[in-house]
Amino acid sequence: MIEAGELCKRYGRTVAVDDLSFTVAAGQVTGFLGPNGSGKSTTMRMILGLDAPTSGSVRIDGRSFRSLRFPLREVGALLDAHAVHPGRTARNHLCWLADANAIPRARVEQVLAAVGLSDVAGRRVGVFSLGMRQRLGIAAALIGDPNVLLFDEPINGLDPEGILWVRRLLRSLADEGRTVLVSSHLMSEMALTADHLIVIGRGRLLATGSVADFIEGSAGHHVRVLTPDAGALATILRGKGATVAADGPDGLSVTGLESRDVGILAAGAGLTLYELSTQRASLEDAFMDLTREQADFRGGTGEPSAFRAVSAA
Amino acid sequence: MLAVTRSEWTKLRTVRSTLWALAFTVASTVGLGVLLTWLEVSRWDHRTTAEVAGFDPLLYSLAGINLAQLSIGVLGVLVMTSEYATGGIAVTLCATPQRRLLLAAKVTTFSAVVAVVSLASCLVAFSVCQPLLAARVDGLTLTDPGVLRAVVGGAGHLVLIGAIAVGVGAILRRTAGAIAVLFAVLLVLPGLVALLPSPWNNDITQYLPSSAGVAMSAHVRFPNLLPPAGGLAVLASYTLTVLAVAMLMIERRDA
Repeated sequence: MIEAGELCKRYGRTVAVDDLSFTVAAGQVTGFLGPNGSGKSTTMRMILGLDAPTSGSVRIDGRSFRSLRFPLREVGALLDAHAVHPGRTARNHLCWLADANAIPRARVEQVLAAVGLSDVAGRRVGVFSLGMRQRLGIAAALIGDPNVLLFDEPINGLDPEGILWVRRLLRSLADEGRTVLVSSHLMSEMALTADHLIVIGRGRLLATGSVADFIEGSAGHHVRVLTPDAGALATILRGKGATVAADGPDGLSVTGLESRDVGILAAGAGLTLYELSTQRASLEDAFMDLTREQADFRGGTGEPSAFRAVSAA
Repeated sequence: MLAVTRSEWTKLRTVRSTLWALAFTVASTVGLGVLLTWLEVSRWDHRTTAEVAGFDPLLYSLAGINLAQLSIGVLGVLVMTSEYATGGIAVTLCATPQRRLLLAAKVTTFSAVVAVVSLASCLVAFSVCQPLLAARVDGLTLTDPGVLRAVVGGAGHLVLIGAIAVGVGAILRRTAGAIAVLFAVLLVLPGLVALLPSPWNNDITQYLPSSAGVAMSAHVRFPNLLPPAGGLAVLASYTLTVLAVAMLMIERRDA
């Protein structure tokens, strides 16, 4: 379990992480979601004792990372797949890691096999593709058979087969009861991989909860009704506490009630329905909703003329 | 400490730069010693009276140390800065978050390797060069007074330069910057101090790291050079100071 309490990180006047509190529970995959530059990596570095918080604290199973004697046996992390000396072989990279925490060398061959790098273990990391480096980074995270795992954007550079492999790996690690925190800016990926989400933007906590709750709670989630008696139905639904908006001539957009309840109420009043459906927001929609105000770098929302003027000049 | 030291030893021996730098160290110590001794022997009859009076049969045998300290310095810097250049320092600190322990292990491991290689180089240089002199003058043996001390002192000079280099690497974290600073202190500073008005130039020169190091392997007493024990004390003080600053900084800064 990872517990962050009121974490803050400032660099001069820039606030990278702002009063961030969350808990990452064991036995499930927790997605750590946010746009680029939202403070995900900084938070992970603070969890691992690499950067000191300006204020606040973070504990792993009740202890601070820097107090762990052989941390690889308790916490495994993949931060940056490029952070490997290019002149060293994959096997030797894992060997020095194993040595540092008194882990038997036999474990090196085990994790090499687990990530599918046994055949290239004797090659220098400098010739590895990004995908191979990601696998090596995952092997390094697994070397101490740790109970807590952190992965920063682990699927970057992986081919579809590799992505599937990572998804299954994360799932099996969580099913074994381990704590798994995975950061990503890809919401669609998190919808497939994570059970629980922590969403941040500009260093602040935007939302936390299960993936299902996250979609439910987002603005895009509503019940769509088509009925010739839109006015009458709207009055009934409002009476039950729902928020109702017109959606086309015969349509209503209902939030605050499930489609089942809308159907029962309509039948009770003897009203005709042409259509009754639940509109599920995608995780993307929910995410965009939450982070709209927070994104540091957003694509231009269309002023091509200005762009052309600059290019022409 | 044992696990970290073993890990650092694995790291050190699994990159090629280590092998190249140590090979250059051996080659320059022995090669330059042989070359300078041979030059001295071949111009034997053309030496000035001052040169004859100040002749030290050990001087040229160990002169290669001056070149060897460059490869040891570069390798020592790289022990730290290569980790920062690749970002591997984060991986290292995830395995060993006790940063002072990590730095201590790096310095210990690297110093042990330098000690073995440079002692071997100095012994080989000595044993190859002395017979070359034998045509002109009685060569020294290791059992002659002060000889073993000078040979060991030469190796010690390289060990301390190596430890300083690791410390400078830890403080500056950039390869180019750390090498520039190290070489400026070892190579450029003596030239600048020599330009100061006398007697400041000579007074200060003997306390520079480069002169203090040379003093450690001096067999006869040279003017403007500390005695060997004094040289050791001065260079060791610089080493401890640099490492103390490095310890403070690695502990406090974000990785």
